Amino acid sequence: MKEIKQQMIDRILKAFPDAKNTDYDGNRLDIAIKKESVPALLMHAKEEMGFRHLSHIAYIDWIEQGEFEIVYILWSPSDKLKLFIRTRIDRENPVMDNIDMIWRQANTYQREMREMLGIEFPGMVAPDEFILEDWDDIPPFRKDFNTLEYVNRTFWHRPGREDAQDVRETITKRSGEEIPDFAKKYSR
Amino acid sequence: MYNDKNSQKIVDIIQNYARKHSLWVLAYGTGCGAIEIAPTMTSRYDAERLGIRGAATPRQADVLLITGYLTVKTVKRVVRVYEQMQDPKYVIGFGSCTINGGMYYDSYNTINLLDRYLPVDVYINGCMPRPEAVIQGFVKLQELISQGKANGAAKYKENLEWYKANQKKIAPKWFERAPEYNW
Repeated sequence: MKEIKQQMIDRILKAFPDAKNTDYDGNRLDIAIKKESVPALLMHAKEEMGFRHLSHIAYIDWIEQGEFEIVYILWSPSDKLKLFIRTRIDRENPVMDNIDMIWRQANTYQREMREMLGIEFPGMVAPDEFILEDWDDIPPFRKDFNTLEYVNRTFWHRPGREDAQDVRETITKRSGEEIPDFAKKYSR
Repeated sequence: MYNDKNSQKIVDIIQNYARKHSLWVLAYGTGCGAIEIAPTMTSRYDAERLGIRGAATPRQADVLLITGYLTVKTVKRVVRVYEQMQDPKYVIGFGSCTINGGMYYDSYNTINLLDRYLPVDVYINGCMPRPEAVIQGFVKLQELISQGKANGAAKYKENLEWYKANQKKIAPKWFERAPEYNW
């Protein structure tokens, strides 16, 4: 499998000189590329290299860098390889190419991205509302969306949570175990 | 329901006796709580021996069991379903999500307090409540019915504007278009 994987990486890097490869163990190929080349690379991977299946489109909000990252996850049934194609787009003006003519199911993922992050896909034909209805705030999966503040404004809280005890501390007192450092930040 | 001596009329006692022994539950699950309904209804706990059984449509049902969290999108449909049900009708809030939001109390898309949007007769605590707790909740509802105290539907009619204002606060466009509740 290693030879096939290396061959695949070489073919991609030869066809797309601006692509950057990150090495991963196992059956995972990970390619970062600029956003203009994404449809061409997806088309190439689907038609020439056997990555016929679009598993998922993931999205990440890198608020510190002012960018959104979109990850297209493809699967090759013949070679049993996963291909991750990463691209970054500007956070202020989020526009990405529509790819639902390559895979029809990408339409659903793109509708979700449009609603949850506010990314625009010019040329995509889909109804306006997907999961959220009557939404009039900034898209809720952006990191600068303050969920608790929105909840305080929209819904009500029943009193009683203020003096809630931390279960973890009660358990450590009873059993005498220490809370590990990584878990301390989750304690109240 | 009560006369001037603060006791029920005989006709009400008979009526409530009949009502409490035939609670038809709308087969409608909103959240993860619906998973506890199957063992409650089937042979292990067999809720039908208490007269509790499923109904297919809102118009045939007496009890609306809100099983778990309600998203804003589901609230719209639940309110619609509740208004389609005919008297007598009761609401049971199932699980801590309906009481105070549960583990979703800071979620942008789930409501926290069910009783701001629908009149709740009985709450069942727990995450999840076991089938025993569910049956306990139904028994409590039967008690309230036989005492003539399960009057959530009357409360909804009396305070309709308050409930409607709360519902419109979370989904203004939808509830503007919704049909009037006037029967």
